[in-house]
Amino acid sequence: MKKNPIILTIAFMIFMAMMIIGGCATPAHISAKSGAQLWGEACGRCHNTASPSTFSDVDWDIAVKHMQFRAQITEDEANKIVEFLKSAN
Amino acid sequence: MRQFLLGFLAVLSAPLLAQTTDSSFSPKPGNSRYMIRGYADANFIAGEGEISFGNARLVPLFIYKQSDRLLFEGELELEIEDGEVKMALEYANFYYQLTPRMTVRMGKILVPFGTFFDRLHPSWINKLPTVPLGYGHDGLLPTSDLGIEVRGGAYLAGMRTNYSVYLTNGPRINDGEEEADEIGMIVPEADIDNNKNKAFGGRFGLFPFADQSLELGFSAQSAKLGDKGSDFEDIGAFLYSFDWTLVKTLPALGGRIDLRGQLNFVNIDNRPYEVLEDGSLETFDFDNKSKTAFYQLAYRPTFGNQFVQNLELVGRYSTLTTPEEAPWESQSTQWTLGLNYWVDWRTAIKIALQSDEVEGGHDSPGLTKTDLFFIQWTIGF
Repeated sequence: MKKNPIILTIAFMIFMAMMIIGGCATPAHISAKSGAQLWGEACGRCHNTASPSTFSDVDWDIAVKHMQFRAQITEDEANKIVEFLKSAN
Repeated sequence: MRQFLLGFLAVLSAPLLAQTTDSSFSPKPGNSRYMIRGYADANFIAGEGEISFGNARLVPLFIYKQSDRLLFEGELELEIEDGEVKMALEYANFYYQLTPRMTVRMGKILVPFGTFFDRLHPSWINKLPTVPLGYGHDGLLPTSDLGIEVRGGAYLAGMRTNYSVYLTNGPRINDGEEEADEIGMIVPEADIDNNKNKAFGGRFGLFPFADQSLELGFSAQSAKLGDKGSDFEDIGAFLYSFDWTLVKTLPALGGRIDLRGQLNFVNIDNRPYEVLEDGSLETFDFDNKSKTAFYQLAYRPTFGNQFVQNLELVGRYSTLTTPEEAPWESQSTQWTLGLNYWVDWRTAIKIALQSDEVEGGHDSPGLTKTDLFFIQWTIGF
């Protein structure tokens, strides 16, 4: 079991390096996605997708920021989703 | 009475009406905003000589957004259990957005070990009224803990990914002082930090397909379990887990499938344990490895009228195997079959049948079978 912290430390370093390297550019097929498409993919992964009319614009700002952190979506994706929800509510 | 109530409501609403008609009122929202969300459920249970309206829960989630980078969330669980209202702090943590793709959170956090507890535990999201084996009483897996985590989403080789790395106070080990027949068992939720060691873990998720319908995840956690200064101080645990999620509408099947699961391994350093039983010292020496898993499939039709489209069929198979020769040795399997009716996107009435088979275990050696019927009404708000 003593090897585990070493393995995890190495894994962590590889992981962080990967985030720095891999986190630089958004792939074209993802940046081309609309807010509606991202809303369906990101929200529907865990639960039924909310109707845009569920919340006001102000509440969507809070709810989507919250879900950006909880569902591990990027800020760009969250911005697209919230713009779609506000336009459709 | 009616006039009195109307008058009372008019008095209560007067400040609000005055505010909205005040010319100085600005509809432009500020940055600091809060929101109450959460969920509630009511349950009915039948089986094993019991027919009762069981637990009822109110689980408010308080969200405070101070800025576009700083947010706080805290969830309480209020439930009626054995005739008493019990309250628990499920999680309470700050988030700070470090970069557009990286966030740090600190406080009592939902531990991202696999996906079930971190993402699916609210009853309006969990498609069945119960949780898989490995959670709850005698659970082996991390749920929530005090600590710090860095998490976010990123891209790797053209694929969407997500990641979490965390440090928490970590689990402890049952030393047998209170429950001798649970000695050597991991206790995931340690309310008190019992040593200087911190649990270190993380999860990495990958979406191989462009439509993000499939997510594959791997989690690991390493920790020392024993109390500081105790004989068990150096006992370590290494947990790892594989999870998968496939959510996709398949026209050929006339519906949307939701396939998910999690395979978990809990490996604890081996050492002999001595337990005083009936006045004599008994030694247990066992390979302290456990594993637990769940496999779940849900299907919701996209054909037919609205009533048919609101239905959802769910099946889940779950297993739990604890170490041979341990006083708590057991092999458990569980089948749960459910039918949900979605009143709207966040309100469901669920009915389910659950069949458990447990061989061994500290409660009753031998084979135990239990069949239960559940009705749950749940709402997310």
